[in-house]
Amino acid sequence: MFAAARSALFAASRNGARVSPNARSLPAALFQTADKHTLVLVRHGESTWNLENKFTGWVDVPLSPKGHEEVIEAGRLIRDSGLLPDVAFTSLQKRAIRTLWHVLEETDRMWIPVTKAWQLNERHYGALQGLDKQETVDKYGKDQVLIWRRSYDVPPPVVDRSSEHHPGNDPRYAGFDFPDEWTESLKTTLERVAPYFEENIAPVLKSGKTVIIAAHGNSLRALVKGLDGIGEDVIAELNIPTGTPLVYELDDDMRPIPQEGSFGPLNGRYLGDQDAIRARIEGVKNQTK
Amino acid sequence: MMTPSSLPVVLMAVAVVVASSPTAFGFVSPVPASVGVVPDGIRPSLRPRSSSPSKASSTTTTTTTTTTMLNSHKLVLIRHGESTWNDLNIFTGWADASLNERGISEASQGGRLLREGGYVFDVAYTSVLKRAIKTLWIVLEELDLMYIPIVNTWRLNERHYGGLQGLNKQETVDKHGKEQVLVWRRSYDVPPPECDKSSEYYPGNDPRYANVDASDLPLAEPQDHRRAIHAGMGGRDRTGDKGRVIIAAHGNTLRALVKHLDDISEDEITGLNIPTGVPLVYELDDDLRVIPNPNAIAPLRGMYLGDLEDVRARIAGVANQTK
Repeated sequence: MFAAARSALFAASRNGARVSPNARSLPAALFQTADKHTLVLVRHGESTWNLENKFTGWVDVPLSPKGHEEVIEAGRLIRDSGLLPDVAFTSLQKRAIRTLWHVLEETDRMWIPVTKAWQLNERHYGALQGLDKQETVDKYGKDQVLIWRRSYDVPPPVVDRSSEHHPGNDPRYAGFDFPDEWTESLKTTLERVAPYFEENIAPVLKSGKTVIIAAHGNSLRALVKGLDGIGEDVIAELNIPTGTPLVYELDDDMRPIPQEGSFGPLNGRYLGDQDAIRARIEGVKNQTK
Repeated sequence: MMTPSSLPVVLMAVAVVVASSPTAFGFVSPVPASVGVVPDGIRPSLRPRSSSPSKASSTTTTTTTTTTMLNSHKLVLIRHGESTWNDLNIFTGWADASLNERGISEASQGGRLLREGGYVFDVAYTSVLKRAIKTLWIVLEELDLMYIPIVNTWRLNERHYGGLQGLNKQETVDKHGKEQVLVWRRSYDVPPPECDKSSEYYPGNDPRYANVDASDLPLAEPQDHRRAIHAGMGGRDRTGDKGRVIIAAHGNTLRALVKHLDDISEDEITGLNIPTGVPLVYELDDDLRVIPNPNAIAPLRGMYLGDLEDVRARIAGVANQTK
């Protein structure tokens, strides 16, 4: 490396920007690093209830053994990419927290500050939480269940405070006032994810820190919908594969900078085997999710 | 979590409902009347939204009510277990060695003891060194409390061993003599030789201390480090505010904390060994002063969990090892 590029490299990294260690891309990186903010999203790995085919929502189930492996691999991909998270956000649910912990361990960043927020939780599944998916179809019919799962703004039936699934009955939500009846659609999920991102995460990104968010299918859908301006119909169908790091480069206004390697409606770029990832995304589309 | 059988308890609770605006946390009611299904059943009284969190949480459950009330001023300390560098007999200090298999199982055991004792925490403090962080994570997982906030602070780091970090303990004795090394290790206020600023062990070269004022960064530390007290007392002050605190840290930082909590002399503290992975429970009164526990092992006034004979043996035994 010649002296000028090297000193520019150090200057850039001192400003908190992440410069690719790849010497080949170095000249391009020098131009790009100035106003680029890096956001890494990771959806938690398979949970034990995925195996049992139950509606999960806010139920606090752990990762399955496969889920652990998936996210350890995610951590390694991030480590190998040279990305170094400075600040982390996650939900109050252990499958996401554990995912984050694996990633921090693999990237040797266990010491960074972590903020846990209910606003990053999975979408609450109302009265369907805990029910077996097939039984629910048998009871309500395939079409109704499809609407609850796939529509943008039709939520499942509510739970009230007599239900163990009402957040008022879980001490981790003790500091918050939830209404007597609770359920969520993807729309209402977005309505609590987006402001949280604006108020708490965007300022951190703008200060030059690389942020990692370990969260859930629907909270991440809500996030990328806002970042990439994706329509309601498209977002309801969009699958973000589990345990696959999704990297965004954002400008000062938090708008995604187009990247080589991104596909579909997302401007983010997945890390890992691109063909395998595409296959997974296509594959899940056809399943009942 | 509340089950239907605990409903009567909730019904009997004082029900002062403080209606708060739905927009308090940005929520907008999502449920159109046509879709919402309200199950039949008793509507319980809402628990009070009073300013005292311990009261609020004590009315929501039956099984943990007593524990919750008792735990409201509890401070638990736990020292991390064996690290990969313990095997190698190297001065570790701020070097970020991982727990080894034994250290991991010590942490699990500590977590189990806390779980069996019905301990619940609202916030956790630890250092920026992974052997303490991992210990805390294992304990929180065991307690099913992974969702509580964790504060990582360099002020709870192990004592910085200056120019001795990374050196083998025996080699150091060979080089400087047994007497000198004993002074560096055991003396209350004599620090080891400073590490060089170009050294990998100088904290200014480590990104995790990027936000720390250079004047606060040590080049070496004696046993006496006030910074740990600073951090620990912040934790202690939290116990009065929002309940129950756990601190996962290192041998010397916990020594500093208990010296302060229990008013132990300099001479006594240098020899005091705090066994790894054994939860040490302090109960504080409303003025946040220690309430001596009858089962405490002097000079501490806090109580170790687990088999006390075993703990006593470990305290005595390890005192003779090179630590």
